[in-house]
Amino acid sequence: MASVKFINIAKSVFFKLEQYDFTKKFLIYSLITRKQNWKNKNLPKTLTGALPNYAHFYTPSLKDSKGVQLKNLFSKLDINISKDNFIFTIDEFKTVNYKYRIADNLSIDYSKVLNTSINELKEQFNDFDDYSLNQMSTLEAIEILIDRIVQKLNASGRTDRQELIDYFENIKTDKVKTFKEALQRILFFNQLLWQTGHNLNGFGRLDYVLDEIYNRDDITKDEALGLIKQFLKSAHSYYEYKSNSLIGDTGQIIVLGGLNGENDYFSNDLTYLFLKAVKDLNQPDPKLILRYSKETPKDLLSLAIETMATGVGSPLISNDEMVIPNLINFGYNAQDAYNYVVSACWEPAPVGKGLELNNVDSFVFIVPLNQLLDSEDLSQFSNFDEFLSSYKNYLIKYTNNLLDEINSQNWEMDPLLSLFIDDCNQNHLDFSEGGAIYNNYGLTSVSLSNTINSLYNVKKLVFDDKKYTLKELNDARKNNFNDEFILDDLKSQIKFGMDNDEILNLTNEVTEFVSEVFKSRNNKFGDKFKFGLSAPSYISKSNVDASLDGRKNAEPFNVHISLEENNDYTELMRFASKLDYSKHRFNGNVVDFMVSPDFIKKNFEKFTDFIKLSLDMGVFQMQLNVVDSKTLIDAQQNPDKFPNLIVRVWGFSTYFNDLPKDYQDVLIKRALEHEGKSN
Amino acid sequence: MKVRVTDIQHFSLHDGPGIRTTVFLKGCSISCPWCANPECISSKIQGDFGYDISLEKLEDEILKDEPYYETGGGVTFSGGEPLLQIKNLESLLKSLKLKNINICFETSLFVKKDYLNIANFYADEFIVDIKLLNKENAKNILNGNIDQYLDNLNSLDLNKTTFRIPVTEYSLNDEDLILELIKKYVPKKIEIFKLHNLAKKKYEILNKEFYYKEVSDVNLINFRDKLNEFVRTEIIEI
Repeated sequence: MASVKFINIAKSVFFKLEQYDFTKKFLIYSLITRKQNWKNKNLPKTLTGALPNYAHFYTPSLKDSKGVQLKNLFSKLDINISKDNFIFTIDEFKTVNYKYRIADNLSIDYSKVLNTSINELKEQFNDFDDYSLNQMSTLEAIEILIDRIVQKLNASGRTDRQELIDYFENIKTDKVKTFKEALQRILFFNQLLWQTGHNLNGFGRLDYVLDEIYNRDDITKDEALGLIKQFLKSAHSYYEYKSNSLIGDTGQIIVLGGLNGENDYFSNDLTYLFLKAVKDLNQPDPKLILRYSKETPKDLLSLAIETMATGVGSPLISNDEMVIPNLINFGYNAQDAYNYVVSACWEPAPVGKGLELNNVDSFVFIVPLNQLLDSEDLSQFSNFDEFLSSYKNYLIKYTNNLLDEINSQNWEMDPLLSLFIDDCNQNHLDFSEGGAIYNNYGLTSVSLSNTINSLYNVKKLVFDDKKYTLKELNDARKNNFNDEFILDDLKSQIKFGMDNDEILNLTNEVTEFVSEVFKSRNNKFGDKFKFGLSAPSYISKSNVDASLDGRKNAEPFNVHISLEENNDYTELMRFASKLDYSKHRFNGNVVDFMVSPDFIKKNFEKFTDFIKLSLDMGVFQMQLNVVDSKTLIDAQQNPDKFPNLIVRVWGFSTYFNDLPKDYQDVLIKRALEHEGKSN
Repeated sequence: MKVRVTDIQHFSLHDGPGIRTTVFLKGCSISCPWCANPECISSKIQGDFGYDISLEKLEDEILKDEPYYETGGGVTFSGGEPLLQIKNLESLLKSLKLKNINICFETSLFVKKDYLNIANFYADEFIVDIKLLNKENAKNILNGNIDQYLDNLNSLDLNKTTFRIPVTEYSLNDEDLILELIKKYVPKKIEIFKLHNLAKKKYEILNKEFYYKEVSDVNLINFRDKLNEFVRTEIIEI
């Protein structure tokens, strides 16, 4: 608990100090990002861990152009050449300086990195406009770093140094030639993103991007598997440094498989090899997403489920049959829609084409409902429809305020990302200034489930059954539900997640309404807003008063699209498949459910059928927590016994031991409820 | 028309092929002391146990999971003894048949031949219990007439049938009789299982005595191996 609160406080202080005192800011920043002692959840140690390293801190002056800043930064980095494996080196004490929020949580299109060279990129920037000068400096900065790595490699004792030196020199002059070289080049550019202050850097569709090079290369499947494992280990390094708000929240997602056109499902050897590698390695990061369609080979889906059953926390499954049509209807070009990747959790967007900030903020559905209950004369509503329209009025106000606030944000100039985002180079306009093809902002939902349950309770208990007046319910809420009878009544009604027409219609009506409000607004680039029904911030945004679903003050919200109190998996899936994800509502819609490892193993074939049939029925995306309550409780009490226990939190997988206690508690509670052992 | 049920369970993976919806009908013709669903024995409503549901509502509930039946699943009527209410169920069975829903009955066979004949007409699958075969024990322990059971076996379509054997001291006692019976009536497959005590709480609520005596794994495996000589036999957990 302490550590999460601390981080939130530190972050808010950090943003306030942003405009003023750089040293203070950087110190706090270091506390947040270095995460030296998060595992011990010990604030004084964090402070003492950061202070001795203060001398190593460096960040370039904002007075220079962005490109020159990168040159300064890359000239000063400490480079670490590992004894074996790929080269992946981050200097954790040096980073960029910035005035505005850095746009991140994206995947770049690594095929661009593989099929070009620095020299070729430079040819685009012969003009002397600011954009060209900045891009030239950025490319020179990359060359400086390459030269420094080569120098270090030369001085290293690695027997394979010449091979690696060639790989790095080639970045300047050539496309990649081999599979191994491709993996090293991807890691290098990925490392640049981390080094320059970008968080949550996805890898995109690596099986697809590497397809041609793998086919051209003369390596066996076993050799490829070995290289992929090395790649995943390198990508797993600096795990804590890369973690965003919780350890494990790195956004390092590899997207596998996927429709390339109607009825044209792509998968190759690499799709299988990435899954196999993750299954064998049992490390929570990087994480996988399998893009599914009706055409997905059965053995590929089986391998994906076997991988999940190991408890490694991935892959998550994203249903192309649901995602792609919604992307196209929203306005993405069909080819771009088919080539979608996801942001740090699962929010879909075309790769390498935009400032698609899919996690720009959270939309907390319960806030306007509680505002209504706090401000209105509750005796005025003579039926539920009147109450619901009043909620809609509050939703409009809430949405407009939130979107205004988002629109007031500027983005930090970013020549590095602009290099690889279409069409910044053609437009000679930085990605932060609208140079990209797409510039849509995405929000994620929080507390939709709690809100629907609250609204339904009002309908049922106040207007249908007339058991309570609205004021009575609201008074109970304000007293944080000291009255157990009212609490029982609130909690025992039908709920979000159940296949019930009233609940479904209410949910679709509320999201449709928000979708319409979103439609009426544009962001600062003149592009659109979108949202999804998944709820990544169900704990961090839960500092909200009690709500009429029976949730007490500041209790965590419900998780994504879920239903724990019942073992009836098919009901939740039917519910999810009847939700409307169209218009502006496709920004991540994940069904989250718990299942014990034993259950999957004993019923593997039927379970695989169940997953496939659920997706074919219209489930948008799904993630599984393959754990049982007994193990979780044991692990909370005896962390040393379970150093490798992996769980999924919101959109990522991590070690259970690394989680703050409140997150552990939510998982245990859900597992117990799911197994029918609550109360 | 209504039938009396205790529960309708979606996503049942152990009551026949594929993913199924199991309807637990209330009321039984025998009373096994180890019954896992003791609330289904009496045909009367007992507190929270049991409610009447119209066939239309029951059909809606069964059809909710229709997309999941694609891989061989469907509906299983269990209980209790589902065939006791088969006359009331018949129009539903007709309607499900027209919709091509796979129908399974899990029956003890201690029922009138007329009832079995109706079930035979609609069933795609039978799960038939072999609890014990000794005539005296059948009378005393189960409160059933074993001759009725044996006679009904002759009317059963064995190509549709899975035998299910709860392994108890009684079934082990009757091992030879069971093996002989299997030789004569060869089913699709056999499932055997140990008793579990998950129903203990229900027995407490019902104020009934609960028979729970676990057989050893060695006995279970030996029994399986002997059965396996005649037909594929699996140990299952239910």
